[in-house]
Amino acid sequence: MTTETLAVNPSVLREEVKKKYRDVACNPHGEHHFHTGRPLARRLGYDQAVVGAMPDAAVESFAGVANPFALRALSRGEKVVDAGSGAGFDSFIAAHQVGGEGRVVGVDMLDEMLEKSRNNAKLMGLGNVEFREGVLEEMPIEDRWADVVISNGVINLCADKKRAFGELWRVLRPGGRLQFGDIANGKPVPESAISNIDLWTA
Amino acid sequence: MMKETGFVDIRVSAPYDTFGEARGEKSARRFEVYGYTFIARKPG
Repeated sequence: MTTETLAVNPSVLREEVKKKYRDVACNPHGEHHFHTGRPLARRLGYDQAVVGAMPDAAVESFAGVANPFALRALSRGEKVVDAGSGAGFDSFIAAHQVGGEGRVVGVDMLDEMLEKSRNNAKLMGLGNVEFREGVLEEMPIEDRWADVVISNGVINLCADKKRAFGELWRVLRPGGRLQFGDIANGKPVPESAISNIDLWTA
Repeated sequence: MMKETGFVDIRVSAPYDTFGEARGEKSARRFEVYGYTFIARKPG
């Protein structure tokens, strides 16, 4: 698919998304248009016993839009990719669910988020999770590696959804599951708003 | 798009009021934007 057929320029959108989420990484308690951290995790129905045991630094930059584990908890031993792992909150929940025999690989494009997620994994002593630099549309994951791909509030920020879903498909093994949180609108968004780059991230 | 890619057994959760009481609530209400959990399977 070429950029001419997309509503927005993918490169421009990606830079705006980087700017927005860099701020969430570095300034998690700042003024954002969405909830973050523990209040958001509570709102989205995450297991409060698990979240409560996590250090503040591992939760404060959480900015998901739903709960990828709500319809199916992960099984022990599963291999999981977290596409757009941010500061690592969902990766840490996944690491807890798959246990020591499982493995979680978070992929994110922001240095600030990667540094934070790696520090938090170390802080929590998690040996079954790692974080790699990359974008959702081109993840550094081998074909058919994952039993499960999770994601939270990231696919809606990809200009080329077809390419995004194609990449999620590539890394999943046959029989594997895609479970993700995302937003959807009930009322149609006018063309002028769709092409307004500010509304994708504001 | 999920079906088009080839995913099957697609299920969607009830909506989450993701933006309720947040600064972005007004925009979210305007277009009835809610969060959802999606699950699907790759055949095989």
